[in-house]
Amino acid sequence: MTTADTPPLQASAGRSWRLARRSGVTSRQTAMARIAGVLGALIIAGVILALSGRNAPSLLGKALDGTFGERQGLEEMGLLLTPILMNALAVHIPLRMKLWNIGSEGQFFMGAWAAAGVGIYWGGPRYVVLVVMALAGMAGGAMWILVPALARARWQVNEIITTLLLNFIAIQWVAWFSFDLWRDRAAAVVQSTPVVQARLPFFPGSSTLYVGIFVPLVIAAATFVVFRSTRWGYEVDVIGGNPRAAAFAGIRVTRRIVAVMLISGAIAGLSGMLHLAGPAQRLNSSISNNYGLSGFIVAALAGSSVVGIVVGAVFIASMLHAGITLQSDGLSVYVVAAVYGLVLVGIAIGEVAARFRVVRSGDLDAAGAR
Amino acid sequence: MRSRRTSSTGPSRVCPASKADPGEAGAACRAVPGVVARNISKSFDGVPALVDVDLELLRGEVHALLGENGAGKTTLSNILAGIYRADGGRLEVDGVERQFHSPAQAIASGIGMVHQHFKLVAPMTVAENIHLGWEATPRRIKRRALVERTAGLIDQFGLRVDPEAKVWQLSVGEQQRVEILRVLARGATTLILDEPTAVLTTAEAGDLFNVMRSLTAAGRTVVFISHKLNEVLEIGDRITVLRNGHHVVTCDAAGVTARQLARMMTGEERELSVEHRDTSANLPVLELRGVTARSARGLIALHDVDLVVRRGEILGVAGVSGNGQSELAEVLTGLRPVDGGEVVVSGQRLTHAGSRRFADAGVGNIPEDRIGTGLVRSAPVLDNAILRHYRSPELSGRVALKRRATVEFARRLVEKARVRTPSLHSMTSILSGGNQQRLIVHREALVATSAFVAMHPSRGLDVHAAQDVQAALLDAREKGCAILLVSDDLDEVLLMSDRIAVMYEGRVVGVFDRRDADREQLGLLMGGHDAPLTGEGTERR
Repeated sequence: MTTADTPPLQASAGRSWRLARRSGVTSRQTAMARIAGVLGALIIAGVILALSGRNAPSLLGKALDGTFGERQGLEEMGLLLTPILMNALAVHIPLRMKLWNIGSEGQFFMGAWAAAGVGIYWGGPRYVVLVVMALAGMAGGAMWILVPALARARWQVNEIITTLLLNFIAIQWVAWFSFDLWRDRAAAVVQSTPVVQARLPFFPGSSTLYVGIFVPLVIAAATFVVFRSTRWGYEVDVIGGNPRAAAFAGIRVTRRIVAVMLISGAIAGLSGMLHLAGPAQRLNSSISNNYGLSGFIVAALAGSSVVGIVVGAVFIASMLHAGITLQSDGLSVYVVAAVYGLVLVGIAIGEVAARFRVVRSGDLDAAGAR
Repeated sequence: MRSRRTSSTGPSRVCPASKADPGEAGAACRAVPGVVARNISKSFDGVPALVDVDLELLRGEVHALLGENGAGKTTLSNILAGIYRADGGRLEVDGVERQFHSPAQAIASGIGMVHQHFKLVAPMTVAENIHLGWEATPRRIKRRALVERTAGLIDQFGLRVDPEAKVWQLSVGEQQRVEILRVLARGATTLILDEPTAVLTTAEAGDLFNVMRSLTAAGRTVVFISHKLNEVLEIGDRITVLRNGHHVVTCDAAGVTARQLARMMTGEERELSVEHRDTSANLPVLELRGVTARSARGLIALHDVDLVVRRGEILGVAGVSGNGQSELAEVLTGLRPVDGGEVVVSGQRLTHAGSRRFADAGVGNIPEDRIGTGLVRSAPVLDNAILRHYRSPELSGRVALKRRATVEFARRLVEKARVRTPSLHSMTSILSGGNQQRLIVHREALVATSAFVAMHPSRGLDVHAAQDVQAALLDAREKGCAILLVSDDLDEVLLMSDRIAVMYEGRVVGVFDRRDADREQLGLLMGGHDAPLTGEGTERR
């Protein structure tokens, strides 16, 4: 065997660079790498836009100004944030157990459907109706994940498949009710249910944003506290880390799986109710603007941190809102979607890149010479 | 047992004149250094794993690398094999200084490693595994040709294995041969074997030693990593001892005794002496009455087992593994449901109770797969420290964990168990194996207020760590615990036990007072022979 293809030490000393895996990554390093990923994606998008004759800096300025520069923009962003953050939390909580709820979209629809059933047919006092609608929404979402939860807990049936497929059924179910059974006969053209009478109050001083925005914020805070300092949260995290160790410690794994998944479904269902009783008013099969998917993206990118979920949801909601602003500025919807995708890819790359650092070759030589 | 070659065997011992120092031709011929490492240092997260370690490997020798878990044997080997990069030091191969950035560069210089955990692709054939990721593999090749090439390699190196067999069909010993063949095929002249005997039966280990001898006879160097003294003395030509990341000594195997090596390895000489007691009058703590249970595969694994473990005694369970010992330990800790009979702990009937109620009854448990079952490696040390106690009123209310109390609890446990960790919030996975072991053993010792069920507690541990665990068990015995000790190692059972039970095919086939037990009789019972009992019936329950 020759050794000719191994370079002698001196030739490479001090002159080459390579990647080395970090033995531990701090959350600060991850955050910095992600921010770098976003900036990188925006620069690429800016260059392409500039090449096609647009003024990229001015577009960015308009996007930021349209979302953060005025109260109306912030309120509209909050309107998007409500369902996105709810769905992100619905995906995040089971993810701590390494369970993927891909069906939050379907649970959102079933929550909206159950809430609509109450809201259309019961004309009680407004706040009482709203509370019952919220309970119905949670029950609807939880019901929709019940079978996947039991199948997963008892027989290890893959929850990714079951929750995903139930999405399609939920959407068709809602379509059936809104096109036929509950259809608003008075308004001949509209393929949706009548307006739900009980409406959420507006956010103080707003005529756009509803008080529903408080719900995901409260749930996020509660989630943070539960997983930081309760027995139940600790047990769920142990199951996520090693189910065998959880069983060894006498944690009732099956029960926890079912409970966590039902909570997840209930949160997604409640977000459907908030959307129906807030901006949507009528139930139809297109009330969700892909909120389940957006929430899923946030949860997948944010990892195990609740703070990361909130920051990520605000970021995604701002991006979507900026996209709408820019469309009114003549940017095509396709370009907006492409930039959105580019930024997500940038974040994902940053996440991976944070695990490495660049080191200079020749360390061995330098250290050996001392 | 020992086979020592004279200096005349092995072609590489005939040294090329060009390389020999003219003045010392004779000496140089006897010892041609192949791989030389000087002042190698390496640390992980600021914890030093190797400090200025020297290693000189001669052509045609079996060089044993001896040390306890965490002594730095594997780290050093990984540096030689291009997997880790040293923080400092120099590496020479045949007199030329080298620096490896990858295992591929190390193998190009003739250094190859066979890891403790094999890196084979189970659904693929032996021939495919050997040719995977190898530059010499033709880009397009027929299955037939691939098998023929492999058969040629098998002949060349004399490692018998079927080239067309799928890897998952092979025994562990055969898989190891495939790994060795893979490395040799790539032209390795220095072969590093990381704890190769840990996974082998005695017969397989004998085969491996023969392979090692034929490799060195052909002038190759074999680095043999182990913490088993008798093996090192049997197969090693020279021995390097590492302790705590430092080089202790390199010496000829012929010139040392096992006792001397043990002292160099551990830095101190400790002999555990255990006084065996008559405990027949003590109160029973763990009781099995006619217990029947099934294995994970649904077969009856325990047949009508009656067994009593008393206060302040160690009951050793001897038997060839797979005769119901695992199920016995699981039934006694609430990890396996019982089909029939009764399980009683301190007078409390716990037949169908889960593991939590056994822990509440004061039964500590060192499970069979300690790290896989007893730890959450992706969680902080803190979380693992409180795994068995977080429900106690001291550490939590009905809902909330008492943050400060948990930290204090974990700090005390880590201190008592002498777990070396950068912090309580460090991931458990970065701890060395020995530190993870100590964390589990001492955590379970805190659970064990009335009984301790220990399954293979010292398996895979070095002398020092094994003695630590044994001391913890004896300590529990002093406190009045009833201890059930399951071990494959008859020496350990004989050393530790006050009474000994033998299991065969799911039944307890005999229970002896330690002072009446003899090795031969136990061996016969373990093998399924009815013991020719001498004198009075020693069977007692």
